[in-house]
Amino acid sequence: MTDSSRKTNPDEDTQRLVKDLETVWANPRGLGALTIVNHTTVGLRFMLTGMAFFLVGGVLAMLIRSQLAFPGQNFMAPEIYNQVVTMHGTVMMFLFAIPILEGLAIYMIPKMIGARDLVCPRLSAFGYWCYLFGGLILLSSLFMEMAPESGWFMYTPLSGKVYSPGLGSDFWLLGITFVEISALSAGVELVVSILRTRTQGMALHKMPLFAWYILAMAMMIVVGFPPLILGSVLLELERAVGMPFFDVAGGGDPILWQHLFWLFGHPEVYIIFLPGAGIVSTLIPVFAGRPIVGYGWAVFAVITTGFISFGLWVHHMFTVGMPQLAQTFFSAASMLVAVPTGIQIFLWLATLWLGKPRMQVPMLWVFGFLFVFVLGGLTGVMLALVPFNWQVHDTHFVVAHMHYVLVGGMFFPLIGGLYYWLPLFSGRMPSQTLGKWGFWLTFLGFNGTFLVMHWTGLLGMPRRVYTYGADEGWELFNLISSVSSFLMAMGIAMILADFILHFRFGKPARQNPWNADTLEWATSMPPSPYNFVSLPKVESRHPLWEQPQLPQAIAEGRYGLAAAFHGRREIWGTDPLTGKLREVIHLPTNSWWPLFAALALAVVCISLLLRWYPLAGIAVLVAAGFLLRWSWENGTHSRAAPDARDQPGNPPLHSRTMDGPGVWTMAVTLLADGAFFLSLLFGWFYLWTISPEWSMPAESPLSLTLLVVAGLALSAGWWWLERCVRRLRHRQGDGLAKGMAMITGLGIVQLALLGWVLVEAELDVTATAHDAVLMVSLVYVMLHSGLGVILTLLQGLRVGYGYVGVEAPLEPVVVRLLWRYNLGGYWVIVVSMAVLPSVIGGSV
Amino acid sequence: MRQALWTHPIHLVVGLTLWSAWFVTMYGGLSVACAVAPPAPEQGPLTLLNAGLALLTLVTAAFLAWLGWKCFHASRQENVRAAHFCALVSSGLYVASIVAVLFVGMPVLGLPPCV
Repeated sequence: MTDSSRKTNPDEDTQRLVKDLETVWANPRGLGALTIVNHTTVGLRFMLTGMAFFLVGGVLAMLIRSQLAFPGQNFMAPEIYNQVVTMHGTVMMFLFAIPILEGLAIYMIPKMIGARDLVCPRLSAFGYWCYLFGGLILLSSLFMEMAPESGWFMYTPLSGKVYSPGLGSDFWLLGITFVEISALSAGVELVVSILRTRTQGMALHKMPLFAWYILAMAMMIVVGFPPLILGSVLLELERAVGMPFFDVAGGGDPILWQHLFWLFGHPEVYIIFLPGAGIVSTLIPVFAGRPIVGYGWAVFAVITTGFISFGLWVHHMFTVGMPQLAQTFFSAASMLVAVPTGIQIFLWLATLWLGKPRMQVPMLWVFGFLFVFVLGGLTGVMLALVPFNWQVHDTHFVVAHMHYVLVGGMFFPLIGGLYYWLPLFSGRMPSQTLGKWGFWLTFLGFNGTFLVMHWTGLLGMPRRVYTYGADEGWELFNLISSVSSFLMAMGIAMILADFILHFRFGKPARQNPWNADTLEWATSMPPSPYNFVSLPKVESRHPLWEQPQLPQAIAEGRYGLAAAFHGRREIWGTDPLTGKLREVIHLPTNSWWPLFAALALAVVCISLLLRWYPLAGIAVLVAAGFLLRWSWENGTHSRAAPDARDQPGNPPLHSRTMDGPGVWTMAVTLLADGAFFLSLLFGWFYLWTISPEWSMPAESPLSLTLLVVAGLALSAGWWWLERCVRRLRHRQGDGLAKGMAMITGLGIVQLALLGWVLVEAELDVTATAHDAVLMVSLVYVMLHSGLGVILTLLQGLRVGYGYVGVEAPLEPVVVRLLWRYNLGGYWVIVVSMAVLPSVIGGSV
Repeated sequence: MRQALWTHPIHLVVGLTLWSAWFVTMYGGLSVACAVAPPAPEQGPLTLLNAGLALLTLVTAAFLAWLGWKCFHASRQENVRAAHFCALVSSGLYVASIVAVLFVGMPVLGLPPCV
């Protein structure tokens, strides 16, 4: 769509347009920089912070290797070693790998799909602050010598109050949960951005492969992280309050923790691997100078990997004791996941074979990835075999395998990708010499460290031991690993030096220096906050190969949304399948609310650590206040849309439709919520069925009558809301505010009845896991109902202010989704926890 | 309209979502059955439980095959490139789901359920 208002001097028009865009998209300086929500800045912040945490994790790794270099060393005391090992794994997995990849995706995705920003910019900023504060809280434990020491997987009962009485486990549980808010925020908005904000014409089959990989990663985060969040909440409740979820004597089961952890933990490996593979799928075609072979097969492999990776979690638990038949299910699935990975490797090899590869520094890392990751994949198939797994369980073989997969699958492609995109970040080229030295030192150091570690493991050296005897036969291998690890550290130092020095000494890069095919290279280098002066129409998978002049045409404002005089930050909203235009999405601008909300949550986190519960309660209310104020400044509010009128010739503003991105964002968020809820249900049925000391009263302590009446109130509220939305669809807005008030009232009735149920049940939450799970479930339901009530009440108010109505009908549709979810979840809880126990008859 | 039903992008995830549901049912069902009423170990794999799991496996595979065939058929008739792409990849993903169901489910033919 070309801006029809450009009639006279094109140069003057373009200059005016650029000036308008710079005003609307300006990033404040000084203290105001803390309010920036733009994806370019937030993505860079994620990556730089991730890199800082990586250095911390790297130093911890060096400490571990120094301790293990020789037998019988006292370089570190056992308790310090345990803290260092735990924090190395935790920092690398939670504070480096996921966030830096998310940062890269946040930075890159809008540029690749031809958008100016992500669909929820404030959510990106909020996610970043949660990540930073959570990471700092967690890291502070190390400097206070009270870091967690139960391993990065925090197995119970070792991480419980009895065996870990200090604050270490609490730091982990609260800090990681805080950081995971960040991961989920990024996951939700990446999904919605990729599905709904691609530029005009970018149909699903024309999307860059990197976007497919990130879409899969983001969906996996949305579904995969909630089980760990639930596990962390339950374990913290056990430690702080004494609810015995994982204590056998109270009817709990420590194996439940392992299930919840690995339900997250195994997909996590693929969450890390898929973006890495996405980078490889981006780089290989560029450096081979031809399209990837088998685009459709690559999409097939990405989706298959994403799903099957959720069926492997028990292969981490083969030694806990379970029927052989159950083990074979997971063993088979573990072998099966190698198939889509193999497909991708053959596609990459075929592309290289048919192209003319240029061996530049990014490609060195791609070849390093192919070598290291394939070896890691092969040992992965070995570990999928139950007898072999039993044999090497908890040995250094597993440590070696894990590093081959994670470093090979994530770190090598990441560094290759960073080298590839450095000219975009800085406008300058990195040094080929330093880059090659960095690669070879890292590659040789890595293989010297971890290839040898396979043999140490096969010789029987267990993992997580702080030292070993001189007569075990492991001395030479450990020494080689330790020396090589320092070689690897030198390589990484050289890469970092190259990254830093190139900003000052690198040669200026020309436009599209690698002759790439994707849209990020159509932006200026470094990119402006709005990425594109105008949003191009895309006709193929390789826009820059087929239209080399596209960057210039975009910069001249010849394409869509080439206007900013209205003061709105705008991107296209397009059809998820065809890429046809559907609406103009206007984005919220810079704001303090994300930072304030994250700060309040940090206070909650610290207060819970220190057991200052009243302060924690106050901070929760303050955080909720900030978040609600943030939500208030949305839609047609003047701070989100200074001029909320449609532009002639453009599709309608999203707030004027009933299927804007808010609906999608809520739906994807509820998917995460649903994963949390299903994990809770899994916990309930697992303990009921498996826990040896589970005790369930013959009759449920929850009043079924009151639950049913409360459910009827909820159902009535939901029905009324559906009716309001139907009427809005038919442009009938009279009585909307009253309707919202009535629905709010019905929600309050439900809440009051649930409170009554809770008081009447007299649950003894510290005595039995049964009562503890009931309590958590009721609180879960009440929190959701409370949120439904508040949001509906706010909708009523917004109708009064004119932010919601026939002309702006989007928000009630969003709130309706929450009510639908609440309704379904509520009745499932009632049936599972109040009806079924009575029907089946108490204790099994 | 009927054509659009089988070229919808939702099919990209339906097959493997069904695989996931089948997988959880197999593992959950086995665990519950072994906790509540485990068959005698000497029966070997010839138990009602194994038969039930095998039947579930076959029914799931057959259902996936039907869905896959419908998508494949729709992809051949579809002129819109994006919809054709979705239907074709979806049919491949249904085939992958069938393979996953049969491969993971095969051990019920040879192993006792609760040993």
